Amino acid sequence: MAADSFRDYLQLLADDALVSFDEPVSWDLEASAITMLANRTDGEVPLFESVGATDVDAALVGDPYRGPRSRPWDHLAQAFGLSAGLSGAAYYDAIIDRLRSPCEPRLLEPERAPCKDVVHTGSDVDLLSFPWPYVHRSDGGRYSNLHTIVAPDPETEWGRWSSHRMMIHDDALASLLFLAGEQVPNRYYYEYEPRGEPMPVAAVVGAEPAVQCSTEMWIPTGRSEAAFAGGLKASPVDLVPCETNGLSVPATAELVIEGHVLPNERLDEGPFGDYFGYMNGPRRSMPVFAVDAITHRAEPRVPFCVEGTGVGYGQNSSSTLQTAAAGPDATLGLQAAGFDVDAAVPWRFTSRTVWVIATERSYPGVLHELANFVFTTWGMLHIDFFVFVDATVDAHDPRAVLTAIALNADPDTDFHQFGVERMPKVPLNIYQTPDEKGSADVGTSKAKTAKAYIDATSDRPPEDDAETESLRARAQHLLVDAGVSPEPFDLLEQRERRDGDRR
Amino acid sequence: MIPFAQYLRGLDGDDDLLTLAADELADVPPDVVAAEALRASGPVIRYNQVDGVDLASGSFSGPDRMQRRDAQPWSRLALGLGLEPDGSFVSVLETITGLGPAGQTDGPMYDTQAASRTVDSVQALGLPQGADDVWPALTLGMASIATADGTYWAPIHGSIVGDETLRVRTPAALAALLDGNETISIALGVPPAAIMTAYLLAVTDHVAVPIQACGVADDVPLVPTNGGLVPSATEVVIETTVADHQPDFQSDRREAWEYCLESTPLALSVERVIATDEPVVPFSPVGRPLADDLQLTGVTTAATLYHRVNNYWGISPVEWVLLPAEAELGFCVVATDVLYAGFEWQLANILFTFSSLFDTVIIVDEDVAPTDLGRVLGDIWVKAHPSRDWIFSDASAPAAQRPRYRQDGQTGSRLYVNAAWDPRWEDSYIAPRVTFETSFPPAVREAARTAWRTRHDGDAAGGDHDER
Repeated sequence: MAADSFRDYLQLLADDALVSFDEPVSWDLEASAITMLANRTDGEVPLFESVGATDVDAALVGDPYRGPRSRPWDHLAQAFGLSAGLSGAAYYDAIIDRLRSPCEPRLLEPERAPCKDVVHTGSDVDLLSFPWPYVHRSDGGRYSNLHTIVAPDPETEWGRWSSHRMMIHDDALASLLFLAGEQVPNRYYYEYEPRGEPMPVAAVVGAEPAVQCSTEMWIPTGRSEAAFAGGLKASPVDLVPCETNGLSVPATAELVIEGHVLPNERLDEGPFGDYFGYMNGPRRSMPVFAVDAITHRAEPRVPFCVEGTGVGYGQNSSSTLQTAAAGPDATLGLQAAGFDVDAAVPWRFTSRTVWVIATERSYPGVLHELANFVFTTWGMLHIDFFVFVDATVDAHDPRAVLTAIALNADPDTDFHQFGVERMPKVPLNIYQTPDEKGSADVGTSKAKTAKAYIDATSDRPPEDDAETESLRARAQHLLVDAGVSPEPFDLLEQRERRDGDRR
Repeated sequence: MIPFAQYLRGLDGDDDLLTLAADELADVPPDVVAAEALRASGPVIRYNQVDGVDLASGSFSGPDRMQRRDAQPWSRLALGLGLEPDGSFVSVLETITGLGPAGQTDGPMYDTQAASRTVDSVQALGLPQGADDVWPALTLGMASIATADGTYWAPIHGSIVGDETLRVRTPAALAALLDGNETISIALGVPPAAIMTAYLLAVTDHVAVPIQACGVADDVPLVPTNGGLVPSATEVVIETTVADHQPDFQSDRREAWEYCLESTPLALSVERVIATDEPVVPFSPVGRPLADDLQLTGVTTAATLYHRVNNYWGISPVEWVLLPAEAELGFCVVATDVLYAGFEWQLANILFTFSSLFDTVIIVDEDVAPTDLGRVLGDIWVKAHPSRDWIFSDASAPAAQRPRYRQDGQTGSRLYVNAAWDPRWEDSYIAPRVTFETSFPPAVREAARTAWRTRHDGDAAGGDHDER
């Protein structure tokens, strides 16, 4: 049974993966600090039920999508009605199967939409009545950073869904981090703004897991995230029309902020401790989101991400969503493009900068073609490196990938610069100087960067390891029977499947 | 000095040892079980055998660092050296270095031999036969030979091919010392300090230094055998003579130290086998990820490099050096103060000079903890500029020994990745890390710790200090 709302999802975590704080906790750094402790210790997801100093009786939820350290996808698997305990490969297979069958959304009457329990429009709108967290003390302000931005798209009925952090300025204004090169910002910078026309948008906070996951995906033009979200949960996502514009938004969302991105207006944005794990600046001017309406459920639950904690050993919502949502989607995308790819998996330690692709080298030059495809069709602003490993290497196992890099990637021939400093880069990076980042009007750095791919495939023929795998599975069962935790083992389910077949 | 059996009891006392009975092993070879336990970052496994000696795997290895863990790959080795298991990595490196060539020593010390029981044959030891092995395998052995100048130790491994016959590999430098003396003793289950000494001497190519001139002689009591001195607390001693210096001996198995120096095959005749009353000996699933021989080679090489680079410039800018077993020793990580622009180039290239194992060096800032490989595996991509900080030499360097590529003698490039801040950058360019300490003022940190602690007793460390 899939979770059809963010509340359903929290209920699913409630047994052993959620910890409630009934005592007052402040949105002013305190909720974020506790969440950082939870992230660092692989602890439960914290739910702050009593957030002081806000007009609306809202709760904060810190990094709700962070999964267990050993299997980051585990909570989301359960949210989609899949088993817990799946290996990375089995989870990707199951999600890819779902994505192969998109399911168009269903439009609800507004009266039936929980997100319209409370409706504020015009002068009733007050962004500051919600407990937007102040996440790090060096941030430029309070942020919403775990939401779905819904924007118009002439090619799809349901609009385009994407993710852009939002800094709150006052009761009706916010600034959105719009980086040219991404679809929604491109539409604003190169279509709406030149026409002097405001672009309608809605920020959907606390959407159901399938919506949040599809927001992180690179969906082909002409297709809608809404249909892939339906595919993910194997049933339609309920949408409802906005109050003040023609967009439709997920009906079970906790909170919806409707408004327009104004042309030729800018407000300060940043700095913010984002996904690199470092504070990044400088403070820049970014497009202005003027709020027209706010609708929400009674006692809304507002999720947020403590960005910067999802690097190195850390996991948070954004790193988990990369692994659990963007990865399977990218794998399917590469397969659909005709590449013989086994898996495309974000690198566990910095999931938006490096990706690992397990692939067959089916013809000379295929890795160059693959790199050319991925660097130009998705992720070009954020991702700097691709690492190619053999299809026999488990791309979900960072130790196996590290070994492949160390033993197979020859510095002489296997490191390929893909155009030295000719490519665009987000200004969030920390390896360019402030001068190089500059203040380009459309949000990219002034200076260009380089992208590279590493060929860590082996020159040796693959070994036939079927018998070895069977022995390994028996050894794993022996150790588990003797008292070793089953958590780290990868072949237990193989044995269970075989036993099931026999029965 | 901690004897091997006592070392295992200590690990057991720390809940870091799992005992399997013979009937539990059934049809799964011990090397496969050992490899899976290591792959899972599991405990040391002790295999109680009805026939033969007890075996132990993982005793010189440890958990990987692909996740944040309480224990480190070297925690067990620290315990074996008499250090605190959660002590600093540098103290482990310095202690290992102290076991090696030391000029003047007070030793050796002598003691009575723990192995006093004669075993009928070497076959009766019941050493493990791996999944791909034709014969039982001997791994993590310590060879000892004696000349007029002293006793020499080196790693040795091989196969039990008959009641009285072994085929082994040992450093060519050790075989060269035999010089007419054809007697070699093989010590199995030696104190951790002794096996680390054997590895240290091998990876530094100091096999020809007698152990009487090494720091280990001050620490490990010894006893004479037909070969040379061995630790008195050795579990099993196999006394042999060389039957053939150039046997027709084909084996693909290589212990990791063989990537550091030339090895040679020998055929040995067994003269006598002696053991303690309840012997237990270590073995390594050679060639498998995180195997004991790999960890020993990595840690002893790191100790050597740390010592050499910090004694080279008259100051000690290097915080630590690592050859992660997780990367099969295929690259070297060094944390350092980048003293001046270009220092990173000097440092990387001196490491290439001192070791031929790797041809990739990763340089990180001095504040990166050796326990935080996760940060290293993030910083190399995030901090290092993809073109300016991935620095390739011209293509005239010899290939490193550990990687699988270019094994045909072709020259190629070396690479260093500079993931440390450029000392020429203004402070305002340096992006602060997002950490618990930097993100929240003290009062908020304390409130958060208190709130978390009320739900998780003793689990609210939070700060970066727990990574060090």
